[in-house]
Amino acid sequence: MELTVTQENLNRALSAVGRVASTKTQLPILSNILLRTDGNRLLVAATNLEIASTQYIGAKVVKQGAITIPAKLMTEFIASLPKESIELKVVNDNLHIKCGTYTSTINGFIADEFPELPTINESSSIQYSIKTDDFKHAVSQTIINTSNDSTRPILTGVYWNSFEGQLYLAATDGYRLSERRLVETKSDVAAIIPTQTLSEVLRNITDDSTEIDILFDDTQVRFRINDAEIISRLIDGNFPNYRQLVPKASETTVTLNKNDFIRITKIAGLFARESGGSVTISADKEKGVLSVHSIASQFGENNSETSAKVSADGNITLNSRYLSEALSVIDCDEVEFRFSGKIAPCVLRSTQPDTDYYHIIMPLKS
Amino acid sequence: MQNAALWQSVLGEIELSVSHATFTTWFKNTELIDQNDSGVVISVPNIFAKKQFEVKFNDQVRGVLSKNGINPKKITYTINTSGKHTRSSRETTTATTPTTDVDGLISVNPRSKVGQTTAGNLNPRYTFDNFIVGSSNDLAYTASQAVAANPGGKYNPLYIYGGVGLGKTHLVQAVGNEIIKRDPKVRVLYISSETFVSEFLDYIRFKKKGFSEKYRNVDVLIVDDMQFIAGKEKTQEEFFHTFNHLHQNNKQIILSSDKPPKSIPTLTERLRSRFEMGMAIDIQMPDFETRCAILNIKAAQSGVNLNHETVEYLATNIKTNIRELEGALNQLLAYAEMRGIEPDISTAEGLLGNIRHSRPQHLSSKQIIDKTAKHFQLELSEICGEKRDKYIVVPRQIAMYLLRSELHLSFPKIARELGRKDHTTAIHSIEKIEKAIKLDFLIREQVASIREKLYA
Repeated sequence: MELTVTQENLNRALSAVGRVASTKTQLPILSNILLRTDGNRLLVAATNLEIASTQYIGAKVVKQGAITIPAKLMTEFIASLPKESIELKVVNDNLHIKCGTYTSTINGFIADEFPELPTINESSSIQYSIKTDDFKHAVSQTIINTSNDSTRPILTGVYWNSFEGQLYLAATDGYRLSERRLVETKSDVAAIIPTQTLSEVLRNITDDSTEIDILFDDTQVRFRINDAEIISRLIDGNFPNYRQLVPKASETTVTLNKNDFIRITKIAGLFARESGGSVTISADKEKGVLSVHSIASQFGENNSETSAKVSADGNITLNSRYLSEALSVIDCDEVEFRFSGKIAPCVLRSTQPDTDYYHIIMPLKS
Repeated sequence: MQNAALWQSVLGEIELSVSHATFTTWFKNTELIDQNDSGVVISVPNIFAKKQFEVKFNDQVRGVLSKNGINPKKITYTINTSGKHTRSSRETTTATTPTTDVDGLISVNPRSKVGQTTAGNLNPRYTFDNFIVGSSNDLAYTASQAVAANPGGKYNPLYIYGGVGLGKTHLVQAVGNEIIKRDPKVRVLYISSETFVSEFLDYIRFKKKGFSEKYRNVDVLIVDDMQFIAGKEKTQEEFFHTFNHLHQNNKQIILSSDKPPKSIPTLTERLRSRFEMGMAIDIQMPDFETRCAILNIKAAQSGVNLNHETVEYLATNIKTNIRELEGALNQLLAYAEMRGIEPDISTAEGLLGNIRHSRPQHLSSKQIIDKTAKHFQLELSEICGEKRDKYIVVPRQIAMYLLRSELHLSFPKIARELGRKDHTTAIHSIEKIEKAIKLDFLIREQVASIREKLYA
């Protein structure tokens, strides 16, 4: 293998792909990156056997070939080089790298040992083309609610599912849940995409990417952004039928400015560190205020309030961290916050009537 | 049966030709699920393995299959999943996605994660229904059932110990499965102590998060092969804290080991006393009748009806280990199926000849006395002599007991063999050991280990 590429291109590809290569693996070659020429392009690929991330970059290829090299060293080395063209040459399983006045040799390993990268059959699968902004938005609004409890694998991903002609994203960790409508769909989809896969895809989105192609088949999913491709397994299992958890009506509905709500929640959260984030929220119809109360027995207590439109008196105890996180991903100025008593879930959503997103949090036992 | 045996031999051969890492990464969790005229179907765990097999291992698998006399036209690899993810049919999603207990999905208080289901690494094959009860394990069985009926109640921790292949794992997993069956919301976690150790090391080395949460947020913790924790002090300390946390919150803990807590060397005192505070029960080697029952049931599960002699032949020749017993049965059935013959006693004899040779059909009384004396490091003259020191008397009584139980000798003959004049001495000794076996672990262990040596 012998070729020339620009530092910018190679650096971009390595940093997008390199994170997938894992050092904690039984198979040592998985901590390597695969470099393989393909006509006038260079394929850069890494896999941890759950995700395979690949990227094509343009190159001036002198001699076709392939090699694998340690991901971490290569990524860091290329990142520190100046923005010039880089010559790569394989001699006896070693990669010679020359860039301006810098030369180095990295010991590689033959590419034959690298796992085959999975492919997806385009004809038998379901395809979507989604604007990257919409994708980013929808994923970041749901991914915060995925669980990392390995005893319930189905909750460790985001559930992509079709319902009445729309494609929805949903995630829950058992204490909170959020759902976001994404696009219209004609096909039926029910797929749980691992959290790590989605965060890798988010990392691959650059400013110049406008569309993202998504392809589902029974056991895997493929994302394609420009020249980058991520293929991942899906999580096996049935996601719970979460829709029936969403309370249809609530006793108390509060409408208030989102930033005010965030501020009082954050302040109350400071006094709730001892109690695991537990804060009590009270709505007062007569005064028209929503107040957040928290106690730190050793340090003191706090009561913050803000004006709000309240439909009925009521109070609920929540984890302030969950509340802050939920508020931070809702994109609107005014939020609707509704709840019924101390044990039913509360709902947060935008006040706009056709909102695409809601967030549910279970109360804490107080 | 045939598929499993065939695939096992394929794997056995491939394991020798590839590196250990390659084998564990790619060949673990694969299975041969179908073979017919059009080809064979191999199930693999994920898309990566599928591609890897199709491109890299296909020739190798084909080669080894043909060495085993199978030349498939086509090898197909399928991904082993429990459910389909996408459907292009017109079924609605709601109808095809059975609800996985929605009530329990979201819970009120994060600190006690009530209402979460988990299969908890349990193998659903291990249930109480297919556990075969005999006199050797009925106490352990009853206690396990009591625990399953009321986890965190009377017997906490439940500590089950016994030799290899006697059904410890089956029993502890059965408890877990039963608990989940009764209430799917209970969180049951089954691990081997080795997993615990390695996850603990990861936790220290890579600062991996969620270690203590994983083990403390369960309602039932089952740890198999507890003896491997011996000598690992930091891990023991961590386990000690986990144990205390669970026990204080009335969570059930179930442990299995090959030794009683007292006999695990380098187990810290505080863990030992904790292991002993609940219920420690042992599983013994199965008696002849139980072994026959096991064989009959296992054969019936494979859809084969074994005749009486064959069952007896196997049960007589394999005495110490149920796993070995099942292995021999599987071997016999696979052989018979492949050759298209009846699995009868002559097939069994032919096939298990090697086993048979290593197991003397006719033990002599001299052998028993010899082995017993050797086990206790006594001279033959001592054990058959006049002395009545305790260190000689007990071995002598054990020898008498073994002569009775293994060779069914008459009491006067037993007395004579050991140089006693009066047969009532033999009666008394044997009764004494019979009683002691029920009460004293040490005696039981010694008798078991001498018996093992006799048939080894």
